[in-house]
Amino acid sequence: MSAPGQEWDENSPERLYVITRGRSGLAEQTTFDLVTLIVSRSEPEPSMQPEHAAILRLCGAPLSVAEISAYLRLPISVVTVLLADLLAEERIEARSAVPQAILPDRALIEAVMHGLQKL
Amino acid sequence: MLRAGSSPGGRRSAPVLVWLLPTVVTAAAAFAAASAASAAARTGVLWCGAVGTAAVAAVAAEAARRGRALVTLRRQYAEQEGELRRRLARQEAETVRLAKVALPEAVGRLQRGEFTEDVLKAYESHDGVTGPEFQAARQAVLRTVLEAVDNEEGMRESAQRAFVNIARRVQAIVHRQAQDLREMEDRHGNDPAVFDDLLRLDHGNALVGRLADSIAVLGGARPGRQWSRSVPLYSVLRGGMSRILDYQRVELHPVSEVAVVGPAVEPLIHAVAELLDNATRYSPPHTNVHLTAVEVQTGIAIEIEDGGLSLTEEGRARAERMLMEAQAGIDLNDLGETPRLGLAVVGRLAQAYGFQVSLRPSAYGGVRAVLIVPQELITTAPATGRAHGIGIASGPRPVTPSVPRPAGGPRPWGSRTMAGIPAGSSFGSAAGALPGRAPADDEVPVVNERTANGLPQRRRHAAPSRTGPAKAPGVPQPAKAPVQPGMWLAAFHEGVNGHAPSTGAAGHTSDESAGKGEQ
Repeated sequence: MSAPGQEWDENSPERLYVITRGRSGLAEQTTFDLVTLIVSRSEPEPSMQPEHAAILRLCGAPLSVAEISAYLRLPISVVTVLLADLLAEERIEARSAVPQAILPDRALIEAVMHGLQKL
Repeated sequence: MLRAGSSPGGRRSAPVLVWLLPTVVTAAAAFAAASAASAAARTGVLWCGAVGTAAVAAVAAEAARRGRALVTLRRQYAEQEGELRRRLARQEAETVRLAKVALPEAVGRLQRGEFTEDVLKAYESHDGVTGPEFQAARQAVLRTVLEAVDNEEGMRESAQRAFVNIARRVQAIVHRQAQDLREMEDRHGNDPAVFDDLLRLDHGNALVGRLADSIAVLGGARPGRQWSRSVPLYSVLRGGMSRILDYQRVELHPVSEVAVVGPAVEPLIHAVAELLDNATRYSPPHTNVHLTAVEVQTGIAIEIEDGGLSLTEEGRARAERMLMEAQAGIDLNDLGETPRLGLAVVGRLAQAYGFQVSLRPSAYGGVRAVLIVPQELITTAPATGRAHGIGIASGPRPVTPSVPRPAGGPRPWGSRTMAGIPAGSSFGSAAGALPGRAPADDEVPVVNERTANGLPQRRRHAAPSRTGPAKAPGVPQPAKAPVQPGMWLAAFHEGVNGHAPSTGAAGHTSDESAGKGEQ
């Protein structure tokens, strides 16, 4: 039994559903996608769940949901749930990634490219 | 001697009298008859008298002799009877001793692990009062009983071992499954529908695991897993929460930042889970169960308070008795048809690891269970374990972003993750499948476009000019400084929006990285 015990050691005793209190992010899915940028608006407080506090600490600078997920080593869905909590308490701000409209038109870029090549 | 001699003499006078008296009377009667009779009949009468007297004398003498013999015999019988009575009494006493003292003692010694032969030898009696046959019979009885008890003990032990073995196998499967589930959860993390199903499976799996743990503990074994490192108390409590059905009703309050030493982690998780299970099970479904832990003189007191029915004095006594009995050792046969394993398991664990458990009526009207973890199982040293990579080690303390990271301080996990993640070591690809994070910090990360769970992974940034200032001052960093998370994206936006990369952004980066260093 010792060998599997050692393997298990790498993990944590708590399971993901405890962290999200049973929510799986089905409802929160629409609010966030992988590249939504998150910025914290307040300092973490001692009474917060450690994951919330960690997100607030991480997001001092804008960070995408995917990156938060990677740093916390938590699946996207879990992070989404946690972010939804924080958003509801207005502790974070979520900015969608660069909207499609702001990006220059592909045709325009191609025209510029061709123009440059002709020079 | 004189008495012995005189006694038969005295005795003899009476029987002599007895046989002499009828003879003399008969002789006198014969003489009287002869004198009264006529001369002619006198001779006949005399003859008759003489014959009669002789016959009476003979009969009387015989009677007297028989009387004497009778007396002797009676005396002999009395002696014999006394002797027999004494023997009987001794045998009775011996049997009673066997039943009341010897057998229970012998069985007790056997149960304490002594061998049958040794115990038998100790109970051989050589008093010589009782016959050898009786002794042999007594030993036979003792042997039969002891062998029966021995067999029974052996059977019970092997049954218990079988229980524990099965439990161990179930634990192994559950453990394996938990790992697989965690991997799947990472893999399907961005598909909430699948993720939801996985979470439910994971929860069910944890419940099965707790049951297997309970059987193992009741069978006298340790709970399944072992932790070589200390684990933060917060994680331990949440670990307990993850093993009960109604974990959503448990409200975990902030706890002090201590950690539980490795060997005590699993039993504590299990004990907390059982107490929480009791609390949630015996309180109305809409009420919350409060879980908190405070430091006390003797260690850490974990309090579990529910809003259910209050414990009557009788109920409390019964529960505490159950705890006590469990501490004394428990018989699987005693658990009955619908076993309430919970308290028995807690009692067993408390006895093995020195926890103190008490159940009291709560101020909320329910039950308040307090489990005190002794000081020696608590460590205040920062636990190496993290609650899913962030947890308590870093602690929920506020961070001042402007404080630079102390040189030589503990390496923030952030920087390690930055080097580790692009190499695909731990996140996504196979959590836990690669023991140890292989790539060193200065290794050039291989670019993986996507992890197994579909997360885009950053390509190493190709414009060092922008990330140059991101190094925290005074901190030895790998030559290829990791890029500050998010900053390149922000810079990208700035570039896209047509703003020149400002120095302010760089300064912010530095601050930000210092802030991260604090963690």
